Amino acid sequence: MSGLTLRLKAPATERINLDGIVPSKLAGLSAHEIARLNVGIDKGGLALGDAFEISGSPSETLTIEGSGATLDFVGGGLDSGTLRVVGNVGSYAGRKMSRGKLEIRGNAGDYLASGTTGGIIHVSGNAGNNAGGIVPGDRFGMLGGVAIVSGNIGARAGEKMRRGTMIVKGKTGEGAGTRMIGGTIWAEGGIGPRPGLMMRRGTLIGPSVESLLPTFVDCGKHDLVIVRVMSRYFKSTLGDLAPKPMPLFVQKIGGDMAAIGRGEILLPA
Amino acid sequence: MSKVVNGVEIDDTFAEAFGMSGTGIIITADSMKWARIAATVATGFGTSVIGAGAECGIDRELSPDETPDGRPGVRILMFGFSPDALVPQIRNRIGQCVLTSPGSACYAGLKAPQSIGLGKAPRFFGDGFQTAKRLGQSRYWRVPVMDGEFVIEEETGVTTDAVGGGNMLILGNDRAGLLETAEEAVEAIAKVDDVITPFPGGIVRSGSKVGAKYAGMFASTNHAFCPTLRGTVKSELGPDTLAVLEIVIDGLTSKAVADAMRAGLKSITDTGAKRGVTRITAGNYGGKLGQHHYHLKDLI
Repeated sequence: MSGLTLRLKAPATERINLDGIVPSKLAGLSAHEIARLNVGIDKGGLALGDAFEISGSPSETLTIEGSGATLDFVGGGLDSGTLRVVGNVGSYAGRKMSRGKLEIRGNAGDYLASGTTGGIIHVSGNAGNNAGGIVPGDRFGMLGGVAIVSGNIGARAGEKMRRGTMIVKGKTGEGAGTRMIGGTIWAEGGIGPRPGLMMRRGTLIGPSVESLLPTFVDCGKHDLVIVRVMSRYFKSTLGDLAPKPMPLFVQKIGGDMAAIGRGEILLPA
Repeated sequence: MSKVVNGVEIDDTFAEAFGMSGTGIIITADSMKWARIAATVATGFGTSVIGAGAECGIDRELSPDETPDGRPGVRILMFGFSPDALVPQIRNRIGQCVLTSPGSACYAGLKAPQSIGLGKAPRFFGDGFQTAKRLGQSRYWRVPVMDGEFVIEEETGVTTDAVGGGNMLILGNDRAGLLETAEEAVEAIAKVDDVITPFPGGIVRSGSKVGAKYAGMFASTNHAFCPTLRGTVKSELGPDTLAVLEIVIDGLTSKAVADAMRAGLKSITDTGAKRGVTRITAGNYGGKLGQHHYHLKDLI
């Protein structure tokens, strides 16, 4: 595999913070400088070279192998190129990423794609709670880009999400789209219970929803042009990873009427 | 020195055209019939930038594979003096003619570094019930209307490298044959991408000169090309000319205008002589006003 490769030397005994370990930042550094980058979280710090075997030379592609759930902030601040991870990752993967592609061949922890403004994230396994959701202290959750999770995602996905798209091949957990402000969560396996609590705007799409809050209302069956636009856009940008197009007619469920009620849940009619 | 091609005399002159701003808009609907209706109405009264505010026309029809929503569509082009001058034209034409047309939707029809508002104003028709969906770099507005939703992209591209006023004058001794020939030339020009012929059916019968004897008139009849005035004024017409028709071409690029003129000239010289076409010339102002000169001899 071309580019720089980081291989975890041994199962980590502490959390490792990989925020900013991205191709564009490593491009201008020497091997020595790369090895000295701090990826620890405690006072003593942890050098990248102590935790990982480093091989290859910096390029547009960075590969992390042998990773585990202790690796946090993988792809944090990614702004170009491709970051490929073979294995699971911890929390905050893709945090504040703006461009490029983050490929995780494994599971992701909580807060996947938090604060993301652009780029594409693909998780081949499952993702934890708050995928695309707000991190305490932030104003919003996901702000742009596309995150695709081939498995399931946990609870409160897209909490305070403002823009962007979360595509889930499996199911969402409870409370997807809680306090959502915009953007789209498209769950091909179905939407979990009680989605969209206090949702203002935004779209949840799926073949079914486990249960609805009483503050969501049936708006009828419609042929929505925007669903066609979305289907074609995702097909053209994501290829095989794109969700299957929805049928021409969808049932629109509007809410949360306890907020301003401009959000929607779209189900096959 | 004029030249004769297939029995049609081509004047050694040039069409003088002007730099303009141009934009493209894609209009879709449930059927091509309704896309065409919306596009036709939206580009109506879009003949001359001086009198109509913008020069508008249909560039081409689009198959479902070519449109953002997978429905049949039509690409229209609009030309104006500047991007700012196009803003109210887009607002009014889209707001009155496309928003109102059943099943319609509206998307950017030109990719360019500079952009102008497309749905920025019409979205307010939603009275606060409108919502937006951002996909990639584009934002789409969803305006609730009585047959569902009117979807309109927020912006479309605009170019300041557009050209307006490419032209050719077709002279002949049979008015019906002349019109038939001009119609065929317009059809040939329509096959060229990125150009429109903004006048009715693509053809002008009232070519104009700059100014008039009356105060406040910017343009008036081109008396030198009016056959009924021959003999009474300094005429440009020979004794056998009974009618003159003009084709005006606007394009997003100078090359598109040149290609369109080439296609039009070929069509006219291919079949014109047998229908009474005797001569082709072009309108210019001595070459001092327009930045673009299209010499007829270079396009044959």
